[in-house]
Amino acid sequence: MSRGDGLFGSYVQGTSVVHRAPLAAKFVALLAVGVATTLLPSWWTGCLLLALVVGTHALAGLGLGRLLRTMRPVLPVLVVLFAFQWWSQDAAMAARLVLGILACYIAAGVVTGTTSPSALIDAVVGAARPLRRWLDPEAVGIAVAVMFRSIPWIADAFGEVREAARARGLERNPRALVLPVVIHTVGYARATGEALAARGLGDPVEGPQDAPAGGSRPGGPGAPSTNDGAPG
Amino acid sequence: MPTIELRDVVVDVPTPGSDTPRRLLGPVELTLSEQRISVIGANGSGKSTLLRLVNGLVQPSRGHVRVDGLDTVRQGPAVRQRVAFAFTDPLSQLVMPTGREDVELSLRRRHRRADERRAAAEAVLARFGLDGLSDQSVYDLSGGERQLMALAAVLATDPEVLVLDEPSTLLDLRNTRVLRERLTALPQMVVLATHDLGLARDADRTLVVEAGRVVFDGPPSVAVDEYVRRSGG
Repeated sequence: MSRGDGLFGSYVQGTSVVHRAPLAAKFVALLAVGVATTLLPSWWTGCLLLALVVGTHALAGLGLGRLLRTMRPVLPVLVVLFAFQWWSQDAAMAARLVLGILACYIAAGVVTGTTSPSALIDAVVGAARPLRRWLDPEAVGIAVAVMFRSIPWIADAFGEVREAARARGLERNPRALVLPVVIHTVGYARATGEALAARGLGDPVEGPQDAPAGGSRPGGPGAPSTNDGAPG
Repeated sequence: MPTIELRDVVVDVPTPGSDTPRRLLGPVELTLSEQRISVIGANGSGKSTLLRLVNGLVQPSRGHVRVDGLDTVRQGPAVRQRVAFAFTDPLSQLVMPTGREDVELSLRRRHRRADERRAAAEAVLARFGLDGLSDQSVYDLSGGERQLMALAAVLATDPEVLVLDEPSTLLDLRNTRVLRERLTALPQMVVLATHDLGLARDADRTLVVEAGRVVFDGPPSVAVDEYVRRSGG
């Protein structure tokens, strides 16, 4: 799987009715799926809900390959969850729970797969506008878009680190797995922040572009980073 | 051409476990106004630090950096509207999943309406001959295509100065040639750090940086010979 593929951050271009639906409607539908999972009376209604979501996925033209790819990472977790619930409760309860989670997961994938990052940023910026006295709505929108982009990156980084640990016979050593992922992630966050700062995307949209002379230097408005020892 | 001034610039960073900071660069005193400027030097010599000072990514510990009279610290946002910065690895820079989305991201401050932004992004991509690649995942582009896409994204806002940090390091010969052609055709002032001595020779002026100091400043052919000599070549 290449970085950027998967449930988050992988918009698939299209003209389906799901693509053309307003983002607000998609969010309401996603919320409705989430609420419905808590109200499922039986496991077979869970099957119906899942079928509805998978049908929407198909209607959006996102493809079976993407569906299987996005489900693959969560399936082991769901299997363990199912086994635990079966052991602690009963099989019907376990099936209801797992089917509900799977439906929510796929529904979230339909939203991200049919919503372009630009549309997502626009929607978040619009939603954050009432808070503009305290927050820069543009910054909030870009932060959310970067978050969506970062989730598959970190998941893939974990996969690569796991492969490297396995090659060294350290796959059972949590330090060999967690520490490199943390270091990779911090490096990635710094690089992304630097790229955004270099393009002025962290700068205030309006207001004083030219701060008064004698303003504080490090970390002042428009100061994207402190010196970090960038080598030559 | 814009004028970039570095006046008594020093960049120090804290040294863990020591009260004495480590000097990355300086003192440097420069006035740059040529259209094509190259910076060459060994790894760790201070080239990247010098470049990052120009759009405020790195702040001087002492002295001032000004672009057309605008201070990179106190007037950072205004400087960054004029000075674009391209990194060595385009994947560090392309923060959106496709080139079109990334160019649109650059244009958010300029075009509020989504349809206007999209049209402007398409025009930029067409100008760079990248319209056929605009909707591909940036992970599926070749190294050369990614570098050109990253350039398109930073040039979308029509900056006056383009700063590039080792833009050809990850490119093969053919893509390096394409990049050189594109850079030569740009109307902007271009300041680039490179290990590619051919690319360095394309400039009007070349700075040789060594151990945080500009040790030579002059015509590219002479500067390259000086750099080779200092490197023991």
